[in-house]
Amino acid sequence: MTTGPGPHTRLAGGLLLWYGVLGGAVAWAAHLLVAWPLDELTCAAGRERVSAVPLWLAVWLAVVIPGLVTVGSLLVATLVWRRTARASSAGAEDRAVGRSRMLAVVGVWANLLFLTIIVLGGVAVLVFPPCQR
Amino acid sequence: MSTTTSTAPGVGRDDLARLAEHWAEPRSLRAWLTTVDHKKIGRRYLVTAAFFFVLAGLSALVMRTQLARPESGVVSPQEYNQLFTMHGTAMIFLFATPMLFGFGNFLVPLMIGSRDMAFPRLNAFGYWVFLFAGLFMWASLPFGAAPNNGWFAYAPLNQVQHNPGLHMDVYALGLLFLGISTTAGAINFIVTALKLRAPGMSLNRVPLFVWAIVATAFMVVFALPALNADNAMLFFDRRFGTHFFDPSGGGNVLLWQHLFWIFGHPDVYIIVLPALGIVSAVLPAFTRRGVVAYSLIVLSIVAIAIISFGVWVHHMFATGLPQLSYSFFSAASTVITIPSGIQIFAWLATMLLGRLVLRVPLLFVIGFVVTFVLGGVTGAMFAVTAFDQQVTDSYFVVAHFHYVLIGGAVFPMLAGIYYWLPKITGRMYHEGLGRWAFWLAFTGMHVTFFPMHLTGLFGMPRRVYTYRSEPGWDGWSLVSTVGSYLLALGLLLVLVGVVHAVRRGRPAPADPWEGDSLEWSTASPPEPYNFPVIPRVHSLHPTWDARTVESTTTGATADRVLSEGRRTLFTSELDARTERAVEMPEPSFKPLVLAGALLVFFTAMLLAAYPIAVLAVLVVAATIAAWLWPSRRPDEELGLAS
Repeated sequence: MTTGPGPHTRLAGGLLLWYGVLGGAVAWAAHLLVAWPLDELTCAAGRERVSAVPLWLAVWLAVVIPGLVTVGSLLVATLVWRRTARASSAGAEDRAVGRSRMLAVVGVWANLLFLTIIVLGGVAVLVFPPCQR
Repeated sequence: MSTTTSTAPGVGRDDLARLAEHWAEPRSLRAWLTTVDHKKIGRRYLVTAAFFFVLAGLSALVMRTQLARPESGVVSPQEYNQLFTMHGTAMIFLFATPMLFGFGNFLVPLMIGSRDMAFPRLNAFGYWVFLFAGLFMWASLPFGAAPNNGWFAYAPLNQVQHNPGLHMDVYALGLLFLGISTTAGAINFIVTALKLRAPGMSLNRVPLFVWAIVATAFMVVFALPALNADNAMLFFDRRFGTHFFDPSGGGNVLLWQHLFWIFGHPDVYIIVLPALGIVSAVLPAFTRRGVVAYSLIVLSIVAIAIISFGVWVHHMFATGLPQLSYSFFSAASTVITIPSGIQIFAWLATMLLGRLVLRVPLLFVIGFVVTFVLGGVTGAMFAVTAFDQQVTDSYFVVAHFHYVLIGGAVFPMLAGIYYWLPKITGRMYHEGLGRWAFWLAFTGMHVTFFPMHLTGLFGMPRRVYTYRSEPGWDGWSLVSTVGSYLLALGLLLVLVGVVHAVRRGRPAPADPWEGDSLEWSTASPPEPYNFPVIPRVHSLHPTWDARTVESTTTGATADRVLSEGRRTLFTSELDARTERAVEMPEPSFKPLVLAGALLVFFTAMLLAAYPIAVLAVLVVAATIAAWLWPSRRPDEELGLAS
């Protein structure tokens, strides 16, 4: 007979699952809300530096860090998807397994989508000077 | 009574009599004014939104008549400005969203196996506010004081020095008033779908229409504050001399656009998402199979709801931004087509793999796919900054958004009306009338709006009262006008069909289409308590699933009959495990009184009768206090606590 996971394990597992589902969305939102205003406000002020950091580097970081967070989220979603696939093939009919599996599928595809947006938006960072009009 | 599971007693006559007694609402004026039944409120939303649709449609016909020929004088420029503003404002705020809220109100509790919405009185309040706000705005038209600055109401033209009179005060106050209704409705949908699902309806068994409504409700909660802030600042600018949008006083005109489109672009999806949910609900019945790729459709609903908040700046590509800024919004505007496309391909696959039953609802779904895809293609073109800057503020944009909104929202709504008419009215519609309505509406829509792509590319600006004779404009404008009359005739036939069904339609069985979701397991129209037994759900297609059907017959248990009062079940958010029974409120005058007091407040503010506004605020406060005053016994005393 197997024993169920403890409350801390369940909490950690639950949080990890939601990171796998929504991590990319949150990372993209952070990317948009940091990279765009950073570029817009700094250029509007007639500067090309944020404190001591060149603007292009600050915007570049605001693209790369959310991109990495999204990749992490994608990996977690994939892991959950594989584990729930094993549980399903073993014949488990638990509602929670079915729900987690669906959320994992949503997470995998959503993270790919958000990674695409971040990369597409970020390509311009490599091509354009940040304050070109 | 505790909520422990007992052995299967079924549901006897005594139980049914008690349920009927507890949930009864007699036919009287008092009952009509105090009802909190989600089905009645849903029907009222549908009828009222349809009424505003007719008014907005008539405005459009007058405009198209004016634009049929160059230098025409059917209406004056001032009248035209009010007509096109009220047309857009009403179609977006008083028709599209409330119509879908009407479907949601009627269907969500039925689809999730609940006996009502989570907050029935708030639901009734939301309807009364919607009705009063709509009348508040339309009543200004006969006085020549209707909003006249377009539904987007750009600054600085919305400022009092450029636009004197009450026009834009009506707009700002009307939308603030209406926003109360929309917010209340959205919160109600979220709580209802999360807490009142039938036992066993875990997240992977929630109908796609309910997913769409919940996603939409979350979008409303996040998007609407931007519009409310915008309108509050506009009213302060106009009435009290602040300078939020006045550059001469340190304000910024672009602030209006940013806030408006932070609301406005998600609003397109607020309108379209539930309509797409209708398509996912209609298809299984007419393809005889479940919709393909359930998980991916959920993904696309969630993804669209999130990404739609990152595309607003594509409405402002012509305002001048650093090049790098374009890339962030161009990327999001391009990628949002992917989840939309996922749904389209899932529906096409469903039709390909299923056995088609070509009835009127399916015709409208097919019309939707064709039209919405064309609208989506031009939408993707707007994500390209250079193209957007060429066609912005031309008739090309008008063509695009009518393809999206009529194709993406009106056609699915019409599919939904024909599909659920038997459930809503208990009567079947006339198939022949429905087919005529479809072909006229479909043809009329394309004859009206396709030529606008051309006139837009030929340089015809939008929002113009009239135009000089230009090569390429005259002929196509006349074609558009002819098409608009065809479209109107088709929509009139829909109305005739509904009236015919209500008055002469043959009685509808509980499940005329062999649908897969729970609303088809109840009577047509449903009893006030919806379900004699709250079902236990075992799959994504509960009415096609023998175990779920059995749970309401020989497998019925007392904890799901709940005949001791006006009760329904609370379940857990993720997996819908039974938590406890809850008592639902009785009918009440308070929602009507509160909405009426708010109407007095907003009217007094409009007319600058501030003492009356203060009195109305006192009535509002007193009504809210009375509403919230604890009048029911605590759950423990009722024996309901888990």
